[in-house]
Amino acid sequence: MSIASSDSSTCASSAPESSEREEGTPERAVVDARPSRRRFFEVGVSLAATVAAAGKAGAQQAKPPKKSASRDMVKRLLDQGTSREFDPFTKEPLNTQTGWDSTLTRLVRRVTNGVTEDELKLARKLGFTGYLNYHLNYTKIDDVATQGFVAQNYPYLTQAVEQIYNLDQRLVQNQLAESSLYRAAFSKRQLYERMVEFWSDHFNISWPQVLYLKLVDDREVIRRHALGKFSDLLKASAHSAAMLEYLDNTRNRRTTLNENYAREIMELHTMGADGGYTQTDVRELARVLTGWTIAGRGNFNFDPNGHDFGAKTVLGRTFPAMPTSSGIAAKTEGDQMIDVLVAHPSTAKYVSKKMLRWLLQYEPTAAQVTAVAAVYTKTSGDIPSMVRAVLSQGNFTAAAPKFKRPYTFVLSSLRALKPTVTRVAAVTGTYLTRLGQPMFYWDSPDGYPDSADYWAGGALQRWNFASYITTTSGEITMDISRFIAVNTPTGVADAINRELFGGDMPARLRGQLLTYLQVQPMPSQTLVREAIALALSSSTFQWI
Amino acid sequence: MSPNEHDACACDEYNDLTSRRDFLAQSGGMTGAAMFTWAYPEWLPKVSFADSFAADRDVIVSVFLRGGADGLSLCAPFGDPLYYTGRPTIAIPRPDSSSASKGIALDNFFAIPQAMRFLQPAYQAGNLLVVHGAGLTYSTRSHFDAQHFMEVGKANDSSVNTGWLGRHLATTSPLKSGSSLRGIGFADGLVDTLKGGPRVLPITDPANYGLAGSTATRDARLAWLQSDYTGYLEPSKTAATDAINTINLLRTLNIAGYQPANGAVYPNTGLARGLRSSAALIKADIGVEAVHLDIGGWDTHTDQNPLTGGMANQMTQLSGALGAFWQDCIASGLSQNVTVVVLSEFGRNVRENGSRGTDHGRATAMFAMGRGIRGGRVLTDNWKPLAQENLADKQDLAVSIDYRDILGEIVQNRLGNTNLSTVFPGYVPAFRGVTK
Repeated sequence: MSIASSDSSTCASSAPESSEREEGTPERAVVDARPSRRRFFEVGVSLAATVAAAGKAGAQQAKPPKKSASRDMVKRLLDQGTSREFDPFTKEPLNTQTGWDSTLTRLVRRVTNGVTEDELKLARKLGFTGYLNYHLNYTKIDDVATQGFVAQNYPYLTQAVEQIYNLDQRLVQNQLAESSLYRAAFSKRQLYERMVEFWSDHFNISWPQVLYLKLVDDREVIRRHALGKFSDLLKASAHSAAMLEYLDNTRNRRTTLNENYAREIMELHTMGADGGYTQTDVRELARVLTGWTIAGRGNFNFDPNGHDFGAKTVLGRTFPAMPTSSGIAAKTEGDQMIDVLVAHPSTAKYVSKKMLRWLLQYEPTAAQVTAVAAVYTKTSGDIPSMVRAVLSQGNFTAAAPKFKRPYTFVLSSLRALKPTVTRVAAVTGTYLTRLGQPMFYWDSPDGYPDSADYWAGGALQRWNFASYITTTSGEITMDISRFIAVNTPTGVADAINRELFGGDMPARLRGQLLTYLQVQPMPSQTLVREAIALALSSSTFQWI
Repeated sequence: MSPNEHDACACDEYNDLTSRRDFLAQSGGMTGAAMFTWAYPEWLPKVSFADSFAADRDVIVSVFLRGGADGLSLCAPFGDPLYYTGRPTIAIPRPDSSSASKGIALDNFFAIPQAMRFLQPAYQAGNLLVVHGAGLTYSTRSHFDAQHFMEVGKANDSSVNTGWLGRHLATTSPLKSGSSLRGIGFADGLVDTLKGGPRVLPITDPANYGLAGSTATRDARLAWLQSDYTGYLEPSKTAATDAINTINLLRTLNIAGYQPANGAVYPNTGLARGLRSSAALIKADIGVEAVHLDIGGWDTHTDQNPLTGGMANQMTQLSGALGAFWQDCIASGLSQNVTVVVLSEFGRNVRENGSRGTDHGRATAMFAMGRGIRGGRVLTDNWKPLAQENLADKQDLAVSIDYRDILGEIVQNRLGNTNLSTVFPGYVPAFRGVTK
């Protein structure tokens, strides 16, 4: 990973300018629905390992969009958006929801890893509900550019567990971390990526403890079900070699109980610590889960020889003793208990509250928790339905801002600056470590904290990251031309507003940036870079 | 072919890194030096480091062993045969045995393992107190609940969200008036213990705490940031102000050039590097009066091996770092006014599990160290044989000493803060004569 492409501008300029399109033309509308695609591509190329990769992606980019269900869906949404004067949901006039504190801009901040001008345009076009639906129907969002880049540069992601086992684990780690960062920053499926991050914390597994198995878990548990059914997600996790190894269930045998996974699946994955289970339940569930282990290099295996066939009672559910000749039939005890946990009212509340906290605000109200939990129960844990209930217009009215975690801050910065990155590991390793959130490195199973208090003290580390990515040297460099096209203090401030805040920068911040820039009638590039770093460092940029 | 081959691999890597926090401390230190060379500005007035520290009350250094440290390995009751019954493969051998790994007797009943030997001088000098059977009286085996409850100082009360040490700072006047840094947590984020304290920051490496970029515009940029954060949302407003003031404070120190006193040599571990920086900050006398450090990796469900394996490595790191700190800051002739406390959220089952490890238990051993501590002994309260009928839930060392008894006495008698009802709401600590 060393060559930064110089082809990006060429490729990018060959893509159609979204501003040239004709309003309402279906083919064009699809392009407009993803107006940032070109930009993402530009960044993708910048992040690309090789010039060859860039050329290939560029070829894909120039093709007209295929006829597809996705286009039809987007067209419908667009037609809705343009044909109505008012957003049917917010009752606010379309295209007037501007300003940093407007409902739509706040929605975009919750749904994405950082506002862009294109994303805000899309939201205004589709309206509150349309924009949310667009992101919830994530499989319909054409993400071929990101997928192509990831497939090209991170081939380990799709390899079988037996193959990854034999690879240099440092390289496996790099591919997992870099691809995750790339997708989180540049995939058009931004809400999906936000949920991937949410579940990665909910079902936290730290890399050093399981190595290559983490990659498999990320692929087959987290990413497969991030916007699916909670029950599927939990079942997949309970059958994940990485999870069984991380929480010691591979050592949980009839003669040698190990309670670790049994406790955490209730405390952290489903019911919550106050969910109403006892230490006896933990022990009994551990007995139920004896024999749930790994075979081969990381395939799930139920080992009857390790299973406790005695009678058990967990959370009131009784399992009569079985003859040891029952063999693998005894696995159904664990399967049934997972169903019990999924259906438990404490699980509905615990998962709903945590999701509200992640997507909406730190302290959701009891009424909000009840409402989302009702959706969980009614839909058997349908995650998109829960997200829709979490991100309702009613909830948005009074939702307090949330403080970006370091990872989100880095992603927002990358989305805003679209820099050239010659060594992605500088970000995934060095910088996220210094910011306190190295990828997949949280040691304990509760995941990185979702708390302003925990992260607020890292202000200086953020300011220094902002300084680092705006300078002219190092592994990340930015193209300053977009910021100095109009090389006056006002012109630069406007450009910063457009690129970092999607045009919705608060007036107070704009005034402060002008003050900093006005010491020079034609701001030098050094001054402009400092102003950009200050904007990234600003209090406004730290909150969603 | 068994996955165990890779288990070993994972464990090696895990042991190398020991814990996420340790890993961070290491990489943070290395990259910090490489990335923002924080050249010490010669023109600045230097603050010199004294050989020792004295004040009218103590500075406190709090160390948390994350993961539930096994008290029966940290300090083994070799005088109880039931200890050996419960631990057939992972016990500390009796001090009078012929084993090379035999324990080091603290008295005629308790012994520390060889891995803890670096604490022996402090114990012999009467500066180190072991409190056994200590912990949370509220019963939980959840790491996260237990750590949280212990750090905030009250169990199972969602209205208490600030930390006991944070509230101590909030209810005492600053040790040095006008100090912009009263508390420091060596972590990426602010730990619960310190929450609620004024002038408290998480700093992974105080030797590298400065604003990057051009020195010519540094002050202007800091002024811009100060103005930008003023009037904006908490907690980032206060955190930014504290950061700016601390940048200006720490630039007057040359922490990297700090020379430990008394021939102390700090090992190259995360905890030891943190304690070394703590010693520098304390001796610089800039008003730092509360320090918190973490060391993870104590959740020894498998292959605990306190003699030569994973837990031995953990304990070597712990005792090596604390031993160096004692020699540098506390040993005879040095500081009168530094007290160290070491806590963990819970201990582990008396009986080992089938993986030569131990599962989550209840009471553990805690430590207090300082010239103002009545040390050189193992404090217990009504210690009973490890027979099943004496154990909590028939499986664990019961909590016979509330950890707040020890902390409360230190807060009042060594830190000079009588507001114990605020520091430990809803609890009246029983003083047990642990301070001088």
